[in-house]
Amino acid sequence: MRYRITHRTDYSYAQPIIRGYNEARLAPRSTAVQSVHNHGVTIYPAPAYRAERVDFFGNRVLHFAMQHPHSQLTVTAVSEVELLQSSPEPQLANGMAWEQAATATRSDCSPTGLDARQYLLESPQVPLSDEALAYARGSFATGRAVTDAVANLMGRIHQDFAYDPTATTVSTPIDRVFRDQRGVCQDFAHLAIACVRSMGIAARYVSGYLETLPPPGQEKLQGADASHAWFAVYDPSLGWIDYDPTNNVVPMDQHITTAWGRDYGDISPLKGVIFGGSGGQRSHVAVDVERLTDT
Amino acid sequence: MSASPETTLLSRYQRLSDQPDEMFAANGQVRTTWQYLADALDALGVDNLRQRHTQARRLLRERGVTYNVYGDPQGQERSWDLDPIPVLIGSDEWAQVEGALQRRAELFNLILKDIYGPQELLQRGLLPAEVIYGHGGFLRPCHPYDPDLAHPLTIYAADLARTDNGRLHVVGDRTQSPSGAGYALENRVVMSRAMPSLYRESHVHRLALFFQNLRASLAALAPNRGQDEPSVVVLTPGPLNETYFEHSFLASYLGYTLVEGGDLTVRDGRVWLRSMGRLEPVDVILRRLDDDYCDALELRGDSLLGVPGLTEAARRGNVALANPLGAGVLENPALHAFLPGVAQHFLGRELDLPTLPTWWCGDPDSLDHVLAHLDELVVKPIGPGSGPATLFGSAMDASARDALAQRIRRAPHRFAAQQQARFSSVPTLGEQGLEPRAATLRTFLVGRPDGYAVMPGGLTRIAPAPGELNASNQAGGVSKDTWVVASEPVREVSLMSTEGGMDTPMDRSAALPPAATENLFWMARYAERAEHGLRLLRVIQRLQRTAQDYRDPLDQQCLQTLLMALSRVTDTRPGFLAGDPALLADPMPELRSVLRDPGRVGTVAFNLQAMLAASHAVRDRLSQDTWRVIGNIRTRLADGGDGDPGPELDDAITLLAALRGLQDDTMVHSQAWSFLELGRCIERGLLTSSLLRATMSTALDPRLESRVLEAVLSHLESVNAYRRQHHQVAQARPVLDLVLLHERNPRSVGYQLARLKAALQALNSGAHDSGLSTEERLVLEAHTALQLSDADRLTRADAASGHRPALDQLLARNGRLLDRTARRLAESYFSDPRGPRQLTAANTDLQETS
Repeated sequence: MRYRITHRTDYSYAQPIIRGYNEARLAPRSTAVQSVHNHGVTIYPAPAYRAERVDFFGNRVLHFAMQHPHSQLTVTAVSEVELLQSSPEPQLANGMAWEQAATATRSDCSPTGLDARQYLLESPQVPLSDEALAYARGSFATGRAVTDAVANLMGRIHQDFAYDPTATTVSTPIDRVFRDQRGVCQDFAHLAIACVRSMGIAARYVSGYLETLPPPGQEKLQGADASHAWFAVYDPSLGWIDYDPTNNVVPMDQHITTAWGRDYGDISPLKGVIFGGSGGQRSHVAVDVERLTDT
Repeated sequence: MSASPETTLLSRYQRLSDQPDEMFAANGQVRTTWQYLADALDALGVDNLRQRHTQARRLLRERGVTYNVYGDPQGQERSWDLDPIPVLIGSDEWAQVEGALQRRAELFNLILKDIYGPQELLQRGLLPAEVIYGHGGFLRPCHPYDPDLAHPLTIYAADLARTDNGRLHVVGDRTQSPSGAGYALENRVVMSRAMPSLYRESHVHRLALFFQNLRASLAALAPNRGQDEPSVVVLTPGPLNETYFEHSFLASYLGYTLVEGGDLTVRDGRVWLRSMGRLEPVDVILRRLDDDYCDALELRGDSLLGVPGLTEAARRGNVALANPLGAGVLENPALHAFLPGVAQHFLGRELDLPTLPTWWCGDPDSLDHVLAHLDELVVKPIGPGSGPATLFGSAMDASARDALAQRIRRAPHRFAAQQQARFSSVPTLGEQGLEPRAATLRTFLVGRPDGYAVMPGGLTRIAPAPGELNASNQAGGVSKDTWVVASEPVREVSLMSTEGGMDTPMDRSAALPPAATENLFWMARYAERAEHGLRLLRVIQRLQRTAQDYRDPLDQQCLQTLLMALSRVTDTRPGFLAGDPALLADPMPELRSVLRDPGRVGTVAFNLQAMLAASHAVRDRLSQDTWRVIGNIRTRLADGGDGDPGPELDDAITLLAALRGLQDDTMVHSQAWSFLELGRCIERGLLTSSLLRATMSTALDPRLESRVLEAVLSHLESVNAYRRQHHQVAQARPVLDLVLLHERNPRSVGYQLARLKAALQALNSGAHDSGLSTEERLVLEAHTALQLSDADRLTRADAASGHRPALDQLLARNGRLLDRTARRLAESYFSDPRGPRQLTAANTDLQETS
């Protein structure tokens, strides 16, 4: 299946911004199950400086700097991505017992293993948490397969926590999410990561998009889609496996992956530091995930 | 030698039984290297030694050598303390240490290149990934480094200590922005003056070469080699930082511009220095700001101290940093546990200087060992941000140890533990004569194309008390100069010259960044405010005496007018303006407060404090003599006492006059000086206008007015000038001529405006567009109004009220124009208060999509 994703962010400022430095992680990644055919970012007004690179996690990053006063900023990323349907379903049932996976990962010095080991540790937005450890124990029974335990954890989070876009912001700590039992996809991903890491299993944060289908008989609204976040877990025998706790599914052919890192802070889609414009700022994000007819 | 043997300094020195001593061998004999010093100390005797110590401390205070201790009530005022007895190292031993340090620096450089490169050490299992990935100093945005860079670890410092087995050990590494080299040089300068003959006769290896190497290394880092003289700046977190003195000292000594984050800006992927409203390219940054604070975009988002976009500029090779961002990952005690294997891998040999036995708790066997031996270990988090840096297991009770064990078990990879060691002692001047104090020596290295150059000696720091193990400056330790002494004294004589000769700063950079501009301007303004306060207090003091002696009600009225003028001019309202008769009858408490209360805005003490703070922030631009006067002012302020204003008013006025004179006399009349001049003239113009308004805008009874005018003339140092011209009692019209309109009286308003005009013209002369700047227009307007005004008209008073409307309006308007000039200068040349801040992240996009 082929998709075109349009991700548009508008900022407007009460008073003009004199300078701004920004980083965008809006380019989908090429993976075994996803190939990127086209990707471009347009920025209005045009930045004085722009440069691309690949970050430590392998994500594409666009750095751009605004050097002239401006009251609005629009960043539009358009990407065409193909999800490979022929991808072999992970052999979820054949994974390792979680204790075994934890031991194997800890001493793995292969490039993949070393990379995975950074996702064993706490990170700025996913600190060590006793609550996460206690919660995770409910899913990680002795000898249980990693995949099985994580699927169970995902189901519990989906059940125990309420989806509530008003409850949290991008920087709500997970302790608070545990206490209030509510949040959004980003919170659930952080929560799950904290739980999985507390058991000694590597877990990373994944950002991307999810195609939404309108209710039967209705036309799809423009901008109704959203960027999305979930998490992935490392089983040394299977590799990385994605889980979407917000929707309680193992992503297959509707999740488009943009970037991954230790937590949201590593890979926020668009961030910036601005000078001037002491007044307020407003932002609006519109995302469209369109199915393209097969050619 | 006058003292009998049993009372000499050294014979009374009590070594610690369980620690080796640097001066004395185990058999109680003075070591050969120390013999000359030992004899000299005995000959000197304790009283003379104390005198030298006092002299050294005075020199340090005068030179403004400070170390800020966070949370200390003295704050930035704390003086650096130097013990008068140096630590000696023989040149033979030093040659070995030097080689060992060079190899260690090479090794650390290779580790750094590998971590921010192929990470072979991790792949081969020589370093556990968690030791790097779990360290807050591993900055992913900075990976990878440019592989062509020979010595990304440009500056390296190692802390050495001799343990009970007599061997020197490395007990710590500093890799991101090592501090102390500047203090070592200051110690040397002061020691060479406090102990000139001892220093001369001891044939001490000089430090200057190290700094020349540092300069050359920094220049070689510049991205554009085509340039002759690359532009290098020293980036400081600011005057409140603990080692700010050193930042400004190094900048001044090496001839670099000292900047704060806000003075730099990134445009087109390059770093620029804001200077006088222009941008000048920057090639190399000597960084004294912790790396995670350097860029709010890619590193710590909450940092206001850095330069957004800096990481990108460095990544593209458009600017070089020493040390590069991310180098802090090597400040990692867990590394010590793996150094032997890493050294074998890279160098094919072991390191000569051992480290203390170290265990990384991330390894299960090591964890068991650590938990079983907590009472004899020192536990250290591997990286910053996980609590106190060093935890002494031996100093804890059982429950504290249990809590620590608990913390370690929760995240073992975050901790390392070191064998607790006793460090050798050095004789130190204490209350009872010489006392043994545990010492560590910080050594400094700089990367050159052919290897690392080592500073001969370094900075020795000693424990605050004989029994204590810890020698940190934050804990209030004392430092020592460290002398590498030649074994054959005679040979080097011809090469010796005093280190004091290194005092003169090298070429000064012409750049004037916004933070420095602002501080110069305010330093001058606060000095002027303090001086006006002092002068008014002095005039009031004289009036009080007269009133007391002659009991003339006119004197009493005159005094009251001046008291109210004091409250107005110093803006310490309500003060005497409240009209409280009790206060006017007994003004002393209020006068004491206006002189001495540092917590009250407008007082002399407040203005002096503010002046000192501003001068502290531009100390690299002031001459040594200027700094000495500032040191005197600081001392005077500290010992001010709380009595009534006395003769010290005269002294303080003289000191401020000396300060001003030295600035005119020892500073190049460049842009930096211009801002002192602008600040001074604006403030003097404002204060004098305010005084004239307070005393003259209403005509008084002629007999009273003449006394008030006498006081005004006295305040403005214009009594003699007035008498020479007018052989009569003071009258309003001629007084106005002299203190308002006159352009050759350095205290008159007209004089300030004329000088302002000239200073602004000089400042604006380089501008591209011809014509007047806004600030020039403002001053021209004020100046012209003054020139066009007519003294007769200004003096004319309303018959009924006595009000002088023309004078009042002129002075009020002048004040407004000067205020606007100051604001305008701030907009054009000072730090931009608007930013940086984070672009808000849009959370609205996160929606449920099931």
